[in-house]
Amino acid sequence: MIIAGIAGYFIQGGFNLGIDFLGGSLMEVEFTRDVDVAEVRSVMNDIGLGNAVLQRTESDRFIIRTTPIDEETKNEMLNSLNEKIGTTGPPLQDRNVAPGFGKQITKNAFKAIGISFVGILIYVWIRFEFRFGASAILALVHDVLVTLGVYAILNREINTSTIAAILTIIGYSINDTIVVFDRIRENTPMTGKLGYIKVVNDSINVTLSRSINTSLTTLIPIILLLILGTTALKDFALALTVGIVAGTYSSIFIASPIVVAWNNRFPKYKK
Amino acid sequence: MRNKKVHITIIAIFIAIISVSLYYILKEPINLGLDLKGGTQIILKPTERGGEEVTTQSLDKAMLIIMDRIDKLGISEPLVTKDLSKNIVIQLPGVKDPDKAKEIIGKTAQLEFRLVTGTFISIKNQKWDTLKFDYEKGELVIDPDAEKVLLVDDINALVSGNLYEIDGELLSDPESEEMLLVKYSGEDNQETDVEGSSTGDGSESNVDINIDPEKVIGKIIYKPETRELLLVDYKDESELGEILVDSRNDAATLVGPVLLTGDKLAKVAAGYGTNGEIRVALSFKDEGVEIFKEITSENIGRNLAIVLDEEIKSAPYIKVPITDGDAEITGISSIEEAKNVELVLQTGALPVNLQIEESSSVGPTLGMDSLNKGLYAGIIGFILIIVFMLFYYKGLGIYSALGLIIYIIIFWGVMSGIGAALTLPGIAGIILTIGIAVDANVIIFERIKEEILKAKSPRIAIGYGFKNALRTIVDSNVTTLITAAALFRFGTGPIKGFAVTLSLGVVISMIVSLLFTRSIIFLMSGISRINTPGFLGVRRRSGE
Repeated sequence: MIIAGIAGYFIQGGFNLGIDFLGGSLMEVEFTRDVDVAEVRSVMNDIGLGNAVLQRTESDRFIIRTTPIDEETKNEMLNSLNEKIGTTGPPLQDRNVAPGFGKQITKNAFKAIGISFVGILIYVWIRFEFRFGASAILALVHDVLVTLGVYAILNREINTSTIAAILTIIGYSINDTIVVFDRIRENTPMTGKLGYIKVVNDSINVTLSRSINTSLTTLIPIILLLILGTTALKDFALALTVGIVAGTYSSIFIASPIVVAWNNRFPKYKK
Repeated sequence: MRNKKVHITIIAIFIAIISVSLYYILKEPINLGLDLKGGTQIILKPTERGGEEVTTQSLDKAMLIIMDRIDKLGISEPLVTKDLSKNIVIQLPGVKDPDKAKEIIGKTAQLEFRLVTGTFISIKNQKWDTLKFDYEKGELVIDPDAEKVLLVDDINALVSGNLYEIDGELLSDPESEEMLLVKYSGEDNQETDVEGSSTGDGSESNVDINIDPEKVIGKIIYKPETRELLLVDYKDESELGEILVDSRNDAATLVGPVLLTGDKLAKVAAGYGTNGEIRVALSFKDEGVEIFKEITSENIGRNLAIVLDEEIKSAPYIKVPITDGDAEITGISSIEEAKNVELVLQTGALPVNLQIEESSSVGPTLGMDSLNKGLYAGIIGFILIIVFMLFYYKGLGIYSALGLIIYIIIFWGVMSGIGAALTLPGIAGIILTIGIAVDANVIIFERIKEEILKAKSPRIAIGYGFKNALRTIVDSNVTTLITAAALFRFGTGPIKGFAVTLSLGVVISMIVSLLFTRSIIFLMSGISRINTPGFLGVRRRSGE
């Protein structure tokens, strides 16, 4: 999965970063009638904004993303869209981000992810053992990479909502991992009789139906959001859907095997 | 029996909480974030001005001034806050067209009086033109074909053909590529005076320029953090003057130190002058009157630049000392602009420079659309979850449905009660917390099932189930809270709203499932008729 994501990253030429990171303007315009991309594109070409990214959100609505433009150019663009096609009024949404601001957002995003990792590591260390904390973090790194990979493959735009979604996935996925670890912790006294691998395996098996049921119940509303929501909600829901699926299997197939492997390498419990 | 009393008490407390929640839900409609109800959010980054660093005090003062200006614009319920990175975040609900607000808020309104010391001109084909200042690149725009770049003391005199002096010549140091201002002797440096200047081939860039260090007056440096283009001493870099743009002719003009500022103003009024020109009349406080008198009497025959927000608005010629402390700003293109100037001068100068980093406006239709679709998805999702729980956990599913409804009521009540704003990511957060709330039930029910499969009686199984699940639920939710806290600390606007809903949801769902659901299941388990393993969703295999 991660390799596929990295491949996607290179094929698509990097992430499709939104204006939150690159700076620029984003406007959602509603037209008085149904229009297609070609029509909007030709108007944009006429005023020299041919490189704008156009995204159709409804049959009569478009999101237009441009590099940073000044107030004058923006008004010129809106005027010519109104004259040539006809718009219902001012843009439904209008966002402008200064080019340098993205750095701050990126920095804050990394800080937030870093701090939550450290916080989780310390908490799991206190409640369990260090090896559990480290394994949990590795599983989380996997979940984040898979989600970003899917975004790279689909060439979906990454914006602040995506970052929030990734942080949510971290919170959710750790939830899942802890449930499995909790069972391992509970069953560890039986290691003498069964061996550590068997203990871990049994723990996964008893928590499996819970893991699947929880993921299903969480996915139900999120998938509905993916189907019914507006563009912004859909973006958010997509990241969550991918992350929850990744989070569920990573607890079982990544976090737990690492714990076992760790025990094999540095035995604390009988293998 | 003692146990039973405890459970009844817990349920009674919950009924009380639910009543309070319902009261708040009905009394206070939930506070919608800007992305849902429509409005404008502007994020401003403060930068130091005039060499003074951005401090908490200056930031707070700037926020007060901004609030004052917004109030004067008549925008209702504005919110001015600062975020972790010391940016000022302004939220203006219901404002669809933020242009005017943006213009007024961002104005630093720094009014300064400074003496004009010279204007830069370039000479090409025996004609002269004033230099322009490129703010983006932070440099003077110099025509590569220009034969000479000179600093003249009085541009008006040059225009009208009167006496003027050339104070220096701008040359590029071939080694350091620095822009140097050197003394203009009229003979050195290739050509002599303005009228006779033409080398014909225009290939001056190839000429080997020898700059005599003795003649260097200073060099020009740009400070990107303050956006200042300064003329500084060649050796110790002390400030000799600042280059500003004259708004009347776009000319790069050299001005001296600040002699008087807008904080000494007593009254400001926009209007028309005697000749019908648009102007803003100024009158100073006593202290300002004195200083103004001093400046004007000491500098007769020079031009006094009136600088508003780093732009020269006008530079009147001082004929006689002004003793009554009256002045005016002219060079304003419209009466609206004059009114804006009046407004920003009245509210005072911002102690910091502000740069718009992000502005976003959402119309009310789009926000409502998101809200409706989000609610719609939430309701359908909620029903499907309950159907799933009833199908999978049979009778226990009823408890989780009840628990979920109570969870949503309390959650909604708390949101309304504390006035937390529901944002677009917040909707997704709520939907996610429904998942987390169900998860707590799933963990408990799975444990109960396990205990029943160990052939324990339902009543004992329920006890063990909750006991074992408690640790799991607490551990897993605390880790989620850690993430939510990180989000709250580093997120802005909608993301913060998401962090709030997520944390509230986690805490409330934990309380509901560990206390309410537990008590109701225990009480109900006393009724033996509905307390069969089948009701609890377990079918014991025969022979067990």
